[in-house]
Amino acid sequence: MGEFLELAGIRKAFGEFEALKGVSLGVRRGELICFLGPSGCGKTTLLRIIAGLEVQGAGTVVMDGREISRLPPMERDYGIVFQSYALFPNLDISQNVAYGLVNRRMPRARREERVRELLALVGLPDAGAKFPGQLSGGQQQRIAIARALATSPALLLLDEPLSALDARVRVRLRGEIRALQQRLGITTILVTHDQEEALSMADRIVVMKEGAIEQIGTPSQVYLDPATPFVADFVGKTNLLPAQAVGDGRVQVGAQCFECDTGGIQGTLRVFFRPEAVQMRGVNGTTPNSADATIEKVEFLGAFSRVTFRLAGIDQPLYADLSDNDMTWFRVKPGDTLRVSLPPERLRVFGAA
Amino acid sequence: MSPSADAAFATARVSAGALRLRVHWSDRVGNAILLVVGVALAVFLLAPMAMILAKSVEDRAGDFVGLANFEAYFRTPALLTSIWNSAWVSALVTSITLPLAFVFAYALTRSCMPFKTLLRNVALVPILAPSLLAAISFIFWFGNQGVFKPLMGDGQIYGAPGIVISMIFATFPHALMILVTALSLTDARLYEAADSLGTPAWRKFLTITVPGAKYGIISAAMVVFTYALSDFGIPKVIGGNFNMLATDIFKLVIGQQDFAKGAVVAIILLVPVAVTYTVDGYVQKRQSALLSARSVPYVPRPSRGFDAAMLGSCVLLGVLMLSVLGMAIYASFVKLWPYNFSLSLDHYRMGIVDAGIFSAYLSSLKMAFWVATLGTVFIFTTAYLLEKTRGIDGFRPLVRLMAVLPMGVPGMVLGLGYIFFFVRDGNPLHFLYGTLAILVINTVVHYYSSSHLTAVTALKQIDAEFEAVSASLKVPFWRTFFRVTVPVCLPAVLDISRYLFVNAMTTVSAVVFLYSPNTVPASVAIVNLDEAGDIGPAAAMASLIVVTSALVCGIYFAIQRWLDRRTQAWRQP
Repeated sequence: MGEFLELAGIRKAFGEFEALKGVSLGVRRGELICFLGPSGCGKTTLLRIIAGLEVQGAGTVVMDGREISRLPPMERDYGIVFQSYALFPNLDISQNVAYGLVNRRMPRARREERVRELLALVGLPDAGAKFPGQLSGGQQQRIAIARALATSPALLLLDEPLSALDARVRVRLRGEIRALQQRLGITTILVTHDQEEALSMADRIVVMKEGAIEQIGTPSQVYLDPATPFVADFVGKTNLLPAQAVGDGRVQVGAQCFECDTGGIQGTLRVFFRPEAVQMRGVNGTTPNSADATIEKVEFLGAFSRVTFRLAGIDQPLYADLSDNDMTWFRVKPGDTLRVSLPPERLRVFGAA
Repeated sequence: MSPSADAAFATARVSAGALRLRVHWSDRVGNAILLVVGVALAVFLLAPMAMILAKSVEDRAGDFVGLANFEAYFRTPALLTSIWNSAWVSALVTSITLPLAFVFAYALTRSCMPFKTLLRNVALVPILAPSLLAAISFIFWFGNQGVFKPLMGDGQIYGAPGIVISMIFATFPHALMILVTALSLTDARLYEAADSLGTPAWRKFLTITVPGAKYGIISAAMVVFTYALSDFGIPKVIGGNFNMLATDIFKLVIGQQDFAKGAVVAIILLVPVAVTYTVDGYVQKRQSALLSARSVPYVPRPSRGFDAAMLGSCVLLGVLMLSVLGMAIYASFVKLWPYNFSLSLDHYRMGIVDAGIFSAYLSSLKMAFWVATLGTVFIFTTAYLLEKTRGIDGFRPLVRLMAVLPMGVPGMVLGLGYIFFFVRDGNPLHFLYGTLAILVINTVVHYYSSSHLTAVTALKQIDAEFEAVSASLKVPFWRTFFRVTVPVCLPAVLDISRYLFVNAMTTVSAVVFLYSPNTVPASVAIVNLDEAGDIGPAAAMASLIVVTSALVCGIYFAIQRWLDRRTQAWRQP
């Protein structure tokens, strides 16, 4: 197996609580992989086990062909950035970035050059003489990355690196970190609970729940073809309906009957579709999977509006994301009845819970 | 075995036989230091305490006699009286100090009265003095030859009245500090919410202020009660024939050489103190949960009448405290009380220098210096190793326990334990007995807990991941300790050092058992002077201690200010 980092059967318990229930996973060289999940799913614990900051109850960690399961942090090869940044407040930015270099007996001139190089790399070439407290959160974040990269580690670990920042800075830094990572080609593990962050940055996403992996896949796989209802629900907004398979690639949902690929699942199942899959344009009485929708509520969200609607014979409210164009064109407002369709190729089914 | 039980068993085995990381050699260094520190605490805290337990069940010959000593003790009415005396005096002191300190703390935190800093510093003055300074001062005010003796009628100050009033003076600042903290930890939004609902002031006080400060009040009560229960200096000087537990230990051990009974009294003293500190520890934990990070600090609004009333009460209390301190200082200059009130340096010159006890002052200085330096290094390093390093996890809880244990051990008990432990022949540490070193060690242990908690609080405030980052950069922990942790925690380190210095200057109780003719500390010299009837020189020595403590606090304050200026570039505003 050509994986750069291999985790096999990682278990971890804190007292009675099982934080990780046998996680196995391969990380490819040079990719940015994202551990995504709600708090308490074990993603941070997994990262800390890779870093040697927690000890797994069982399982092995192999990095670049070397088993590191039992190595102390100092003998592993990684740089780490924490949510708090953990910059040393009493050292200036240059001293912070050079912190790991000083120990390597690097000549002073070479060290200073390396610090300049790194500060330029993270786009803060003039910050060297300042103290961390004098920088903004986003700038501190970039310095923390520069410090982690200073010793040229083979692996970069990012623990919720953007959570403490405000929304605008977060979006900008996402792009910057991703660009930096691709430029350096450094294998990177990012822990986050923010699905947007994961979708926009990762080569692959590992969705975790209660100490186990739910799905590993590219952002589009995870979003468009979720492996489980949990993934579907955690990543993006979801409509999930109980249904019955009635044969011939058809399912019965309440009083409605839809076409879709049931993947051979019989009997009780659940149908899933994204709000943006709901179509209104070019829909008429003969369009497959179409039905009359009664609009309940319209929530304006800027670029699109989230419309809550009901279909006759289904007792749960459904959501559709409609573009501003559609909203204007169809003059959607609460109380209206409009014809909508759920295209068969955009419906997915899961077995019964 | 059922399949599910089987699976559970397998899981249990996995966690029981959990993997361990190999320990990096630099971490081994940390673990080794922690082991040494733990052993040192065991030797200088646990072993002496164990000796007290052992002595209490031995007869004079050293044979095991079970509870016979306790039985004999409880059959001695004179000794039983001491329990009752100690109990009611401590309770009375608590019930008077607490309301006074609460008013003062309330004025400092909830009013807009002027001169807050000045008044606060005046109220904290008793901390700078040995507790017995108050006793000496009240003797000059109300004693047989006191200024206000005529006011006393047939009563006299010696005994319970003097003890109670002196203890109120000595315990006041301790209660004040706790109550100020408790009253500062409030959320202004609660008062805003109450105002918006039209709540009258008295109801806000009863439903927000008091419940909010509840834990502080309990904690202050515990501290005052145990202080009063275990103080030795005050009843020794002004107690007359009024016996209390702390003085009983001294009399039994030093006077009658009855070690077994001394140990029994020590244990009787230890029990209530240990109980109150356990309650206090529990209460403190609850207090910290009360305030969230999002709380808004309360800012008092000016209110003419209220502020004036608060200022009036605080000034009255402040003047009373200064009159206590002032009397001791004044009396130390009076040529011959009560016959010749002209001022002179006689007590300093003849009573201290010529009498050959200036060396006591010097040895106190020396001792306080070592306590404040070595003690601080020891305590801070230990707290750091406990909080920030990993490994030998089974051993850590024991060290943590030993670090907070001294809080529940009265000085007299600790001192007695030291005699039992170090005087014994065959103890390889016997050579310490009678040296300055044992006074230093004993004092560090005696005041360990508060210092430890200060260090832990400071360490918890800095980012938890510094050590993890250092390890990922392959920098050994001690480099980060010296380069980052110590500089960042320097204010707390100075605080610990100042606290230790002042306490080393003023402590009487533990060291009263441990000094040798060459190492008499100044505070003990006061006791001896008083016993010899030299109350003038005693006042002089007490004044010297107060002035020294105040000067040293000034020096620490100056260093702190200088440090603030130097480091303001990186300290958060």
